[in-house]
Amino acid sequence: MTSAGRAGRFLRENSLGLAFLAGFLLTLAGQLLAGRAEMNNDLVAAGLPAVGLLAYASSSDFAVDVTENWQSEYLQFFLYIFGTVWLLQRGSPESKELGRAGTESDHDQRTGAHAREDSPRWASARGWRGLVFSRSLGLVMGGIFVLSWLAQSITGTAAYNEERLRDLDGPVGWSGYVTSADFWSRTLQNWQSELLAVASMAVLSIYLRQRGSPESKPVGAPHTATGVEG
Amino acid sequence: MRGRRQGRAAVRGVVLLLAVAGAGACGAVQERRDAAEAEATRFVLDREAGRHALLCAALAPGTRDELEETAKSGCREAIRQAIEEDDLPPAGAVRAVDVWGDRARVVLEGDTLFLSQFPGGWKVTAAGCEPRRDQPYRCGIKGG
Repeated sequence: MTSAGRAGRFLRENSLGLAFLAGFLLTLAGQLLAGRAEMNNDLVAAGLPAVGLLAYASSSDFAVDVTENWQSEYLQFFLYIFGTVWLLQRGSPESKELGRAGTESDHDQRTGAHAREDSPRWASARGWRGLVFSRSLGLVMGGIFVLSWLAQSITGTAAYNEERLRDLDGPVGWSGYVTSADFWSRTLQNWQSELLAVASMAVLSIYLRQRGSPESKPVGAPHTATGVEG
Repeated sequence: MRGRRQGRAAVRGVVLLLAVAGAGACGAVQERRDAAEAEATRFVLDREAGRHALLCAALAPGTRDELEETAKSGCREAIRQAIEEDDLPPAGAVRAVDVWGDRARVVLEGDTLFLSQFPGGWKVTAAGCEPRRDQPYRCGIKGG
């Protein structure tokens, strides 16, 4: 196969991850431009000098806007991954089949003695390796959530204090900020939208279809079929 | 084995990079804090020495405009008036400096100054400020 053919095949076979990664970078750049314009509008109105693109990109104002969205997205996936182990939704392709709530048997999960030749090495491992690998997706998503929420609280403190000093008010410490209305307003406005999106997806996918999408049941599948993906 | 060694080297590289970036960021913050404190100290010394023109030059443009407009006079005269009317009290030594981004607060023995970073350095955006409970400071000199 030629190198062009190999590259084309790589792109096709990884188009889902690559397309969303490209979309992420483009929208992040868009956020940078729009955020800087908004900040400069405020600064000029207050008689202060506008900031350049690089200065805005490294500002706490930009960082808190980015991290507050990151934490909520990773929280959504973390809750979804762990929640769907135990919670079911009749008729939804997002749910497991009814009656299979829980972590399931080693046989069903191909773990321990039931691991196969092509299973990942840690799937057959006993002790902490097996435990961690069996929950690694949720743990990593949860870990990124905690870190990005922490980053939101730190960058939020800096952005909040910069604004307070501009308004001739005294700065607050980290503990003062994480109990402030600003922190919880930023946090909860993101959480509510993520939870609504998950609830909508779980319920709407009972009755609606998307031909060809693995996130949907096959178009002809009955509304009552649970845990069936297209 | 080779992959594990490369992995360890990569982790060491990332830790080193973060340490260098962290040290650089701390150094930059300290530098900005020192510069804000130096500007506030200059402002206080100019006030004590009655160098009104230098006080005017130390003000942010918006603050200077507001001062002139309120006093309905030129900046030097407005500064003289502000000192006379105790809107710009004797400040004394620096007690605390807070720098967050491009803004700073310098708490002195007898006054509190607010400063902002401009292309030419720190400028005073408010002076003669007194703290108020659950409200922003009340300032004798500030922007509009």
